[in-house]
Amino acid sequence: MEFRKILVPVAGTQADEEAIKLACRLAKKDKGKIWAVYVITVKRSLPLEAEIESEIKKAEGILDHVESVAAEQDYEVEANVLQAREAGPAIVDEAVERGTDLILMGVTYKGRLGQFSLGSVAPYVLKNAPCRIILYHERAT
Amino acid sequence: MPNNLPLKPGDRVFRPRRIKGYRLRRVLGVPALFSAGYGDVGSSIYYALGIVALVALGATPVVLAIAGIIYIFNALTYAEGSAMIPEAGGSASFARHGFNDLGGFIGGWALMLSYITTIAVSANTIPPYLSYFWPVLKEPAIGTATAMGIITFLMLLNVIGIRESARLNITFIAIDITTQLTLVVAGVVLILFVNPSVLIQHMFGEGNWPSTENLVFGVALAALAFTGVETVSQLAQEARRPTEQVPKAYIMMIIVVLVLFAGISIVALSAMTPQLLGDPVNGWARDPVAGIAANLPSARLQSIFAPLVAILAATILTTGTNAGLMGISRLAFNLSSHNQLPATLSRVHPRFRTPYIAIILFCLVALLLMIPGFFINRYFADLGALYAFGSLLSFAVAHAAILSLRARQPDLPRPFKIGGNIRVKGREMPITAILGLISTSAVWVVLTAGQPFTRVVGLIWMLTGLFIYYIYRRKENLSLTHAGKTKNI
Repeated sequence: MEFRKILVPVAGTQADEEAIKLACRLAKKDKGKIWAVYVITVKRSLPLEAEIESEIKKAEGILDHVESVAAEQDYEVEANVLQAREAGPAIVDEAVERGTDLILMGVTYKGRLGQFSLGSVAPYVLKNAPCRIILYHERAT
Repeated sequence: MPNNLPLKPGDRVFRPRRIKGYRLRRVLGVPALFSAGYGDVGSSIYYALGIVALVALGATPVVLAIAGIIYIFNALTYAEGSAMIPEAGGSASFARHGFNDLGGFIGGWALMLSYITTIAVSANTIPPYLSYFWPVLKEPAIGTATAMGIITFLMLLNVIGIRESARLNITFIAIDITTQLTLVVAGVVLILFVNPSVLIQHMFGEGNWPSTENLVFGVALAALAFTGVETVSQLAQEARRPTEQVPKAYIMMIIVVLVLFAGISIVALSAMTPQLLGDPVNGWARDPVAGIAANLPSARLQSIFAPLVAILAATILTTGTNAGLMGISRLAFNLSSHNQLPATLSRVHPRFRTPYIAIILFCLVALLLMIPGFFINRYFADLGALYAFGSLLSFAVAHAAILSLRARQPDLPRPFKIGGNIRVKGREMPITAILGLISTSAVWVVLTAGQPFTRVVGLIWMLTGLFIYYIYRRKENLSLTHAGKTKNI
């Protein structure tokens, strides 16, 4: 299986770091390209192009960290900030536009009414993505 | 600045943004754009018919047809403008590009008035429809208090920030259009075909045709029926391919809206007399579609449609109220980001990430506007006229801006260009925009001259806005017309 174009959506969770490391390992074999994206979700009461300073700072911090993790692995990622109404459609759209072979997402443990939940983004991507998907789940503690 | 040097007083550290990777992800398609626009228009059917009938009586279908032609002019102008300038400001953006900042502010401030009144009118119409389940809601005081409660609830929801599902919106709109079409078909088959003369009698019978003054005023009020044009324009920036999808969404809206309004108004006048349709106390002026359902000639159909219309109307009108609320906060943000309103209005809540000051401020204005509703039965018609004042003014500004852009920037890429042009001094001018400018301005003048409430409140609103604009620009040392040029004023 070749993974030449890998998209790694990041959200600032602990799982991001491991997902990026795994993406680097997979991409190295085929000298593939990795894109890391952070999606700023803009509420409908604001225009889509609204610049929310605190969110942009947060996004940049997360992507700086992602780049440094990749650098530790001796690999390079292209990091992007997207601004969208919802994260799921934005990630799928990005994958379509980039023509990626793989989306590698880190997911964290979330409990909802006592049940394990994947949230809303991962299920949307699983259902709609045009390529293979690997979900990296950190150990539930 | 090198990291190893200590900072001295006055030093500033500048860290450039990750601009190269900062992109907007646009995902809306034609169905989502259409349903957002139709969400507004679809909700306006539930109140506009009654408000227009209150004034235009038997001429209601004729008045709506005339307003429908003006609506086509408006939609074409917005299609060209939104495809050319896919920004969130609608007529305010067109005017800023076509004229200057002051023109953009006038268009935007008028649009704000129409959004505020949309919030008030939509919320005000929810209790009469729900009175099918709880008759006490038909009382003006209780109805107004409930409507104010709905606005307050939506205000809090929007400050916290709710997620709105585009798919759920499309489903609601599909159910709404299906119900309205079924009502039209049932009305035409069961009432109109059985006794065609009843429509003629209700339109042209003695005492049913309005005076010329009321006929013209009816055309002005009918602008209330054709909302939604601005909403699609505001969402143009979120369309995947705005240049193709926005004009398509407008054309779909023109067809569906004209067919449904023609059908609903004809069926309503076939099912009841214009006096009953336009009576706010004992008739159906405040809930005209419920009137159609209640007057169907079959008890079985009545029992199905009456509760269905009540639930659907309440849902769609709540969505319409919320759409007005989100529209005004987006517009306030847009105006303040172009130095047309103080930056305070675009302040985003640190936790909820919503423009909370704009949301709270404009909801309070809408709540204030509703207070007379406690005492006056016909007040909802005054609110309707105030809506028409704001929207007609912003439509006129939009037409003028599109004409100005044709004259001043003829080479600007126009992915959708209105056909049917005449040449003026070598420039192509769309006939529909010229007719749109003349008709919306004329109806606005008639409305302003003939309605004291609209004239006073509308003009106070515009003058207050211009005063705020003047003070703000002076404080910021900006020219009144161009933010780029600094000038002492």
